[in-house]
Amino acid sequence: MKYQSLYLLVALLVGSVPSVNSADNLPDPQVLIDEMSAASRSLNYDGVFVYTLGKQIDTMRIIHKSGDGESYERLISLTGHAREVIRDKDQVRCYFPENKAVVVEKSRLGKLISTYLPQPIKSISDFYIFEIAGEDRIAGLDAWIINIRPIDKYRYGYQLWIDKESRLLLKSELKNQLGVTLEQIMFAQLNVLDDIDDALLEPSTAAEGFTWYKNSPNESVETNESDKQWKVTWMPAGFSMSEQSKEPMLTSRMPVEHLVYSDGLAMVSVYVEKLNQQPDITVGASNFGGVNTYAVFAGGYQITAVGEVPKSTVKLMADSVKSYH
Amino acid sequence: MSEYNNEELSALIDGEYEGNNDKAIDELIHNQDMKDTWSRYHLIGDCLREHLPEKISNQVSTHVSNTLRNEPTVLAPQKTKQFNLKPLAGFAIAASVAMAAVFSVQNSNDVNSVSTTPTLAANNTAPQSQTFSFSNPQVLPASVRKSDTPEEVANQRLNNYLMNHNEYRSNGSMNGILPYVRLVTIESQE
Repeated sequence: MKYQSLYLLVALLVGSVPSVNSADNLPDPQVLIDEMSAASRSLNYDGVFVYTLGKQIDTMRIIHKSGDGESYERLISLTGHAREVIRDKDQVRCYFPENKAVVVEKSRLGKLISTYLPQPIKSISDFYIFEIAGEDRIAGLDAWIINIRPIDKYRYGYQLWIDKESRLLLKSELKNQLGVTLEQIMFAQLNVLDDIDDALLEPSTAAEGFTWYKNSPNESVETNESDKQWKVTWMPAGFSMSEQSKEPMLTSRMPVEHLVYSDGLAMVSVYVEKLNQQPDITVGASNFGGVNTYAVFAGGYQITAVGEVPKSTVKLMADSVKSYH
Repeated sequence: MSEYNNEELSALIDGEYEGNNDKAIDELIHNQDMKDTWSRYHLIGDCLREHLPEKISNQVSTHVSNTLRNEPTVLAPQKTKQFNLKPLAGFAIAASVAMAAVFSVQNSNDVNSVSTTPTLAANNTAPQSQTFSFSNPQVLPASVRKSDTPEEVANQRLNNYLMNHNEYRSNGSMNGILPYVRLVTIESQE
């Protein structure tokens, strides 16, 4: 009895009383998320959304076209500088008109087709609790609300609003342990279309006189002088290494060792770089939106963990990195 | 501690409070309202994570306080000095990459007297493509400006990590666009 009233109190405080009580006719949240992933890849759509980070609010337009098993995407900033990002299966081009610059990166969109959600959503249900939290209306469309709550304090939670009809994501929030929103995307308008004119995927700037910067990995990269191997010895339950590579970086003399860890939903990158300079300036914590970073310096190497997880998680992971031969 | 709002208190509980933690905790200890809120937040957190026991005593903190009062004093370790990096704006991320690239090329051109110095302001209609290959010592990007402070170098490095992480993230997340939203949207907060 005491427990029940407590639950009610807590639910009131958090403001997340499920508005739908009967289990009938409710979609399975995990199936809904899988359908959302598929819809965002396979549909043609053109929409305007608001991105909120702290007190800052920006508006952007996204145009997505799919065809022949490929995806094309254009993201345009409608506030501030008219920056654009254009993605296809090969390249990501970032236009910065205020700098007269285009930065070109290798696209991972090609891989995205099969691994948009890195693992089937079922396998991550040990570490997150999925539930339908109610219904809402976003951008004039009826939506299901899904809560994804972490089972421990080492990861963040998510709240997703999914269009009942198209299954597209209409709104998403990244939340800390207490349900405080760290970052939010919400569509103000979203149109699903039969086709997208290719002209809509062209940059609005002619890029005349722009300088192009390419960061292209070269096969003949110098290898690290040492044969040191690196390993993260602590990570939250459910995390495992999903990728390991050497990344060329524009500010680094040597390719940087990159270890990628994921629990299927959250992702943490750990970078290991040999440094010759004063270490004390490069250690500590930093934060950008929902992304936390933590750097330590040990034995001439800087170890930096970066991820959409709480500060304590990146710190514990960075502190746990060990080398072995 | 009335000047601390609930959001800041929440950040404090998460270990993500941006201000002076020691000062905030000192004030928290002396403010019953904030202490109550603090307990409630922990209770909410435990409830959300389904960590609640069958029975809860709200006297726990009193018991703990009484026990602690009888404990010998433990000297807390000196807090390590943390380097406060600038907020990592998306704009700064991309700009730092672009700028690092410019520095590298111009520096190596100075050294090697190569006359094909690319410039940002040139009125060329054809896009110039600078490919940074690590097998080419002329464009080794370690040649950052001499005048760069260690702080700037550290910021650039971290920005590169973030950009790289975002590329992976854009592939592995439900929110494929979010990493690029971060890149495009954020003004430099320096």
